[in-house]
Amino acid sequence: MNASVSVRRGPCAVTLVRDRDHWAGRFVAMASPCDVLIEDVVSQMQAKQIVDAVAACAWRIEKKFSRYRPGSVVWDINDTAGAVVAVDDETASLLDFAATLTQLSDGRFDITSGVLRRAWTFDGGARIPSQEQIDALLPLVGWNKVQWNRPSLLLGPGMQIDFGGIGKEYAVDTAAALANRAAPGVSCLVNFGGDVAVVNARQDGQPWRVGVERPDRLGSTAEMVSLHRGGIATSGDSRRFVQSSGRRYSHILDARTGWPVERAPRSVTVVADTCTQAGSFTTLAMLQGRQAEAFLKASGHQFWIQ
Amino acid sequence: MTGNDDIGAKLAAAACALLGTAVCAPASAEESTNAWSIDSSFLYYGESDGRVQDVSAIVAAQRDFGDQRKLSATLTADTLTGASASGAIALDGPQTFTSPSGRATYTTPAGEVPLDDTFHDTRFALNATWSQPLAELYTLSAGAGFSTEYDYRHLGANVSLARDFNKRNTTLSAGLAWSQDDIDPVGGAPMPLSQMLDVGDQSHKLGSDSKTVLDVLVGFTQVLDRATVLRVNYSYSDSSGYLNDPYKVLSVVDPLTGDTITRVPAEEGPTGVYLYESRPDKRAKQSVYAEMKRAFGARVLRVAYRFMTDDWGIDSNTAEASLRWPLGASSYIEPQLRYYTQSHADFYRASLIDGEPLPQYASADFRLGDFDATTVGFKYGHRMANGSEWNARFEYYQQTGSIPSQQIIGNQANREQYPDLSAVIVQFGYRFGF
Amino acid sequence: MKRSLLLILLGTLCGCTTVQPWQRDVLARPEMSLDAAPLDAAIDDHIYFSKEASSGGRGFGGGGCGCN
Repeated sequence: MNASVSVRRGPCAVTLVRDRDHWAGRFVAMASPCDVLIEDVVSQMQAKQIVDAVAACAWRIEKKFSRYRPGSVVWDINDTAGAVVAVDDETASLLDFAATLTQLSDGRFDITSGVLRRAWTFDGGARIPSQEQIDALLPLVGWNKVQWNRPSLLLGPGMQIDFGGIGKEYAVDTAAALANRAAPGVSCLVNFGGDVAVVNARQDGQPWRVGVERPDRLGSTAEMVSLHRGGIATSGDSRRFVQSSGRRYSHILDARTGWPVERAPRSVTVVADTCTQAGSFTTLAMLQGRQAEAFLKASGHQFWIQ
Repeated sequence: MTGNDDIGAKLAAAACALLGTAVCAPASAEESTNAWSIDSSFLYYGESDGRVQDVSAIVAAQRDFGDQRKLSATLTADTLTGASASGAIALDGPQTFTSPSGRATYTTPAGEVPLDDTFHDTRFALNATWSQPLAELYTLSAGAGFSTEYDYRHLGANVSLARDFNKRNTTLSAGLAWSQDDIDPVGGAPMPLSQMLDVGDQSHKLGSDSKTVLDVLVGFTQVLDRATVLRVNYSYSDSSGYLNDPYKVLSVVDPLTGDTITRVPAEEGPTGVYLYESRPDKRAKQSVYAEMKRAFGARVLRVAYRFMTDDWGIDSNTAEASLRWPLGASSYIEPQLRYYTQSHADFYRASLIDGEPLPQYASADFRLGDFDATTVGFKYGHRMANGSEWNARFEYYQQTGSIPSQQIIGNQANREQYPDLSAVIVQFGYRFGF
Repeated sequence: MKRSLLLILLGTLCGCTTVQPWQRDVLARPEMSLDAAPLDAAIDDHIYFSKEASSGGRGFGGGGCGCN
């Protein structure tokens, strides 16, 4: 028995459908299909309110931290590189978190590494840049070249930041916390394009079943994860890579060298307490290259590596 | 990169700072995915005055197959040693009895309540239960059990169905249990109210026998509010077959002095006239049981009450209370109290009067008499970082009985009449999952 | 005795509220389960079955024994 409700039309469309034992809200945000699955202990109206709140949260974060939108926080920061900018609490927290990741990865992860995109185009094509092209960009890369004293941020001229590596996971956890405030204790699974968070376990004791996609066979599911509560995140090159001379270059760049991490796994999925932590582990693992598996084993978290 | 534990801790702290306190409580995704759960217990039970001592070990394993389907199995092994009051009364002089095997005798010192001291038994029991949802809101449970000891074997099966109502605030359940027990007493089951004979003479002994028990249970569980849950059960139990205790006797006493009639054994045998007990071959019991658990912040109070009545004339009342008191984040202490009182069975007799016609049924088994019993104790538990828990329980059980005054005859008034019982219970447990 | 027990039970029932699924955080705690310590219950049932004339009430016993 299916009941469906369409909340809005157009690019901000949110649909709500009743599935076997849960409500399923769907919308598009951050260039990804997004789901909100709610255990069917709430009414249709409550489910609609939760999904609306989650979608609104996703769009808010997308708009605020998009590097393409003039007027977004990231756009303004990048536009005034070379001058001091005062940032709000949320941005400051994300910058602190990014700084921690940079430190934990010994500089391989860096939110200022986005300028390297001018050299690399990861569209499945065969173009790889020359060392000169990369050398020209490296002076603009490096968190150590940034002066960050909360809440004041000073980028060097020409430097750029983007929250691409951490923004989606942050949005998932924030949206999941929001769903919990809207309906305390109700089990909601928030999934933004494969980054998942569940705050409350289901009342009926059942776990949510999440499928993890195989990178070499897109569209078919390989593994089923049973998630009671926590977060799942995936890093992978299944859709973004460069192939040249028989070698496959992952889109995960080592910020210290400007080149993709060597022998990075095709795909890493990690289960952790929050989506943000899971995402951090996948990123750190990918940056480990061939040591990724050992790194993940030592972390004690459940993971899949392909 | 920095050491891995380090990374995990730093990431957790960083994520906590980023996402705010809402996500800071560590809720491991792995925590509730244990398929197996193992619970084990080691128990020592010891009565005072050289009476019964029991040491037992229990291991219970539960496997969760997902979709609410569970299989659980419990294995118990216990060893019983020591003596139990035989039902004969104390005398001013020593008494000698023939042991149940009919091949030896034992003597009770003067003034002491006779204890049958040739008791030694090891028992193994295995129980398994399967439960699964039958349809939305219905849960089915079915179980089977088996136990064996050297003079007793038990085989049983049970089934029950539960149905949830009102957003699982209310649950109704009904169940049925059947068991078939085979009793093969040492030396054979004695003919009821026959006399204890000399060593070597088994003419009053028959062979083995059996009993069947049927139980019906109707249960009602109700959530009263966010912190309170109540359960009320009604049960009816019907036993038929051999319900006697083959090792219990009654002393036949002089109507004036109240002392046991003496006899002289041919070579070895009893020094008095003792008759084996006789109980009806049917027993119907009914009981109502109510239990409530209420949380007061982190503390949990449990109170329970049971009333039982049967067609042997026994009425009993049981009241229990315990309070679980957390100590810090991972330990707790739980004081426990139980009070029990029962009235004697219609055919309970302290002793039989010589010369009077024998009643149809008679038993001096202290467990069918009038008594009050109190248990005081506490449980302490500690949860480890990996989620396993070890715990310890210490209890003291005291039973104080009385014999209806019209049954006390002559000299019996000057002696210990009821074999009061006191026991210590020490239990250590460990449970873990994987 | 029996009549007053029944009245107490009915009185308690009339005071109950419906607890929504998302309000079951306290009830979900393991120590609030009515079967929180199954081994303790089995041990107690066995000890009291062998020393007293009453048994069970809480559920089906684990099995008979020669101890009574």
